[in-house]
Amino acid sequence: MDAELRSHMAAYAEDLVRNGLPEREAMRRARMEFGGLERVKEECRESRGISFIETLRQDIRLGLRMLRKSSGFTAVAVLTLALGIGANTAIFSYVNAWLIHPLPYAHAEDLMVALSHNAREGWTEQTFTNADFLEYQKQASSFSQLAAWTSWYFNLTGDGRPDRVTGGLVSWNFFDALGAQPMLGRSFLPQDSRPGSSNVAILSQGLWETRFGGDPRIVGRKITLQDETYTVVGVMRSDFQFPLMGAANIWTPLAFSDTQSADRTTSWLPVFGRLKTGVTREQASAEMTTIASRLAKLYPQTNTNLTTVLSSMAYEVGKEEGSQELMICFWAVGLVLLIASANVANLMLARGTGRAREFAVRGALGASHVRLIRQLLTESLLLFVAGGAAGTLLAFWAVQAIEASIPARIRGYMVNYGRVSLDTTTLVYVATISMICGIAFGLAPAFEASQIDVNSALKSTSGRSTSGGRSACLRCVFVIGEIALASVVVISTGLLVKSFVRMVDGYLGFEPRGVVAAQLLIPPLRYGSDTQVRNFYEQVVQRVGAIPGVSSASVSEYIPFAESSQAVIVHVAEQPAMRAGEERTADYTAVGPAYFSTMQIPLLRGRALDAEDGPASPKVVVINEALMREFFANQNPIGRRLEIGHEATLCTIVGVVHDVKQFYLTDEPHPQVYVSASQFPSAYMSLVVRTGASQAGIATAIRRAVWSVDGRQPLSTVETMGTMIAERNTPNRFLMQLMTFFGAAALLLGAIGIYGLMVHMVTQRTHEIGIRLALGAEPRGVMRLMLGQGLNLTTRGLTMGVGASFLATRWMATSLYGVSARDPLTFAGVSFLLAVVALAACYIPARRATRVDPMVALRYE
Amino acid sequence: MDEQLELLQGTLDMLILKAVSLSPLHGYGILLRIQQISKDRLEIQQGSLYPALYRLEHQGWIASEWGESENKRKAKYYRLTAAGKRRLQEEAEKWSRMANVIAGILRTKPGEV
Repeated sequence: MDAELRSHMAAYAEDLVRNGLPEREAMRRARMEFGGLERVKEECRESRGISFIETLRQDIRLGLRMLRKSSGFTAVAVLTLALGIGANTAIFSYVNAWLIHPLPYAHAEDLMVALSHNAREGWTEQTFTNADFLEYQKQASSFSQLAAWTSWYFNLTGDGRPDRVTGGLVSWNFFDALGAQPMLGRSFLPQDSRPGSSNVAILSQGLWETRFGGDPRIVGRKITLQDETYTVVGVMRSDFQFPLMGAANIWTPLAFSDTQSADRTTSWLPVFGRLKTGVTREQASAEMTTIASRLAKLYPQTNTNLTTVLSSMAYEVGKEEGSQELMICFWAVGLVLLIASANVANLMLARGTGRAREFAVRGALGASHVRLIRQLLTESLLLFVAGGAAGTLLAFWAVQAIEASIPARIRGYMVNYGRVSLDTTTLVYVATISMICGIAFGLAPAFEASQIDVNSALKSTSGRSTSGGRSACLRCVFVIGEIALASVVVISTGLLVKSFVRMVDGYLGFEPRGVVAAQLLIPPLRYGSDTQVRNFYEQVVQRVGAIPGVSSASVSEYIPFAESSQAVIVHVAEQPAMRAGEERTADYTAVGPAYFSTMQIPLLRGRALDAEDGPASPKVVVINEALMREFFANQNPIGRRLEIGHEATLCTIVGVVHDVKQFYLTDEPHPQVYVSASQFPSAYMSLVVRTGASQAGIATAIRRAVWSVDGRQPLSTVETMGTMIAERNTPNRFLMQLMTFFGAAALLLGAIGIYGLMVHMVTQRTHEIGIRLALGAEPRGVMRLMLGQGLNLTTRGLTMGVGASFLATRWMATSLYGVSARDPLTFAGVSFLLAVVALAACYIPARRATRVDPMVALRYE
Repeated sequence: MDEQLELLQGTLDMLILKAVSLSPLHGYGILLRIQQISKDRLEIQQGSLYPALYRLEHQGWIASEWGESENKRKAKYYRLTAAGKRRLQEEAEKWSRMANVIAGILRTKPGEV
């Protein structure tokens, strides 16, 4: 371009020379008439429509240079953004792992969970009976595989310490249906589910490595499970997960005897299936419903009113408790990011007024408005992208830290545990929010800065804009917004904290402090008769009770806050019989004599179970208040009889105890029946021991006591009730900790925002303050003036924030326990806290205002 | 010499296309030719020529290639493209239609409204 233009000028000059002008004069005229060479070049470039990429590259280069020059600003901005974006990304990776891609299998969208729905009573349960499952397997053509599973506990003996291993009993096609291949050996085959040839097992990689030392000849090795010999046929890789089951280390096939295959009364197997390609969920669901109605007609005793619906497995897994809490965190952290971005926008606005002269000069040189705005927007985007990159790194570490802090027992239930990482979806998310925030929050400062009045800016000696009026107004808006958002976050945090405290402090119905528990499962092979089972547990309780430091000990088939429970059908004798499908249930457990006193569950009426209630005595039962309420309308139930279970065993009620929380601290009490373990012996029992000693000390003693009765009997780890309850609480505690962190971050960022704005305001009004002071105003009055401004902003922000919270907290109501979503105390307390913090942030700049030397101020322009 | 008329906006493009349609020219040559054809009644500002040339090239009405000028200097020669030819025709038609309309308006006598 340069050459072309120059040759034109030269040609013109030559013509002039030919017409008689002296050469130098000719050149000068040529140049003058041409106009500024650079200007023309610039115009040519613009009219040629210079490519977008080139301008972008220029903008980026200039932007980087400017940012490097004001490194302090850049550092603060990038750090703020890194924290905000990093937190967002970390939470999003969980949203991704739990809600968006919860299933780590191929074509996971084809996996459907079957649900059994009782149309008459309106309940839905997740389990089926053996016979029904087999029937569906035979008849349902929409599925390439239909599988069933259940959690199970296995006693692993031989080759070392007796161990209780969690695992699963699964139908032979379980792994095939999921599409998971074992890393060694094979999956199960149909013949493995025939009783007699079903003693095969698949191990997890973890169990293979820890217990069997990674034996290279593991496939085909014989192991002892439940006192029987099993052959290992395969090993599953350690990253195999089935979140519905929880952590599992060993799998054996479900094998039904003929009687078991015909069982239509015990509903205990969850069922899922993989759709055949091309079949939709609706088609499959319709088929299942048809089969269900066929079964209802064929077997009216057991299957009336039952229908089967399908739900996608991804949905079922994502629906587990935790998803609402996750969404609360997600929104809270989003608000924190907005606050952080507003702070950065404020910083940019402040910087913009300082660069007025630079823009004025550029404007004079011919830069258009649009060009300036584009330049500033690019700088803003650079900041946000840098913040995004740094934030991604932070998020990576944060996710690692969170995964590591999840207690081992819960890990199996956490969807995609160990697989939460920064995958493509997450990275796309980071890039998107960085760009969006960068543009959204960069626009206002860019607009502001480009509206510089060229004349006055060039004339002003300080190079700064004196007419910061409009930009100050904009900053005020940002700060008010920040305060509003911060109050929403802090109010939410306050509500959750209060809810957590209520939850943890609530009375559980028993006294967990000082109680330790362990689980035992005695193998039927060595304890075939009820008497043997009874004797074993009686001896164990006796021996354990004799340990010094133990004040009392007992057993119970199911204990609160453990991993399982059982419900049975309960019917009040002498009342009209219920129809099938309409029975009421109660939680069930068989307990030893001193159970209530060991757990310190208050007895409200009648008597507790004792040693007299043996196998020869009439069958008795103790109920809880909830059962008394529901079944007896609070009238005295002592002496009445209940029919318990499918066999409708008659038991006489002898006592009523206080309600006990079974699984979650937020549970509503269920009806509960306690029968005597002597009368209803169970091979699976939990040992509960009340002791003043520490858990570690007593654990060895307990184990020794058990082994003194039977040296081959494994027990699970001895844990304190406190630990078990705390582990149940982990999601809530986590939520509370995260929210506290976000609340603190929001508060801090808001305070920084106000502080920055106040400093700016004081500087703006230095002139005015100088005059006031010179005219005799008291310094305190000046301070009050500035604080008043701060208070004004804070009040406006708080009003908006409280109003918004009023509407917003409704959504988290289901996560709150014992606290209303509009709890006035929390709202008031948080408002007060925010006001105090805001005032504190204003204090220093306000004080600085009083130190203004009038003489300096008056000369300051 | 007659008064020099100021160039009406938007007509520069048309004139350049016309100038180039007669034969390929470099920038300075186009300037000279326009002056020549207009019998020196039209004066074009030197500085506005090149942006117009670049714009027309970007839009595809003219194409350029480097060559040697009369006084042995490197110069960029512009020629009309096929599309440019069509464009020139369109613009010319539009121009004469516009001229007729305006002339008609200006000829209106007081009584004819």
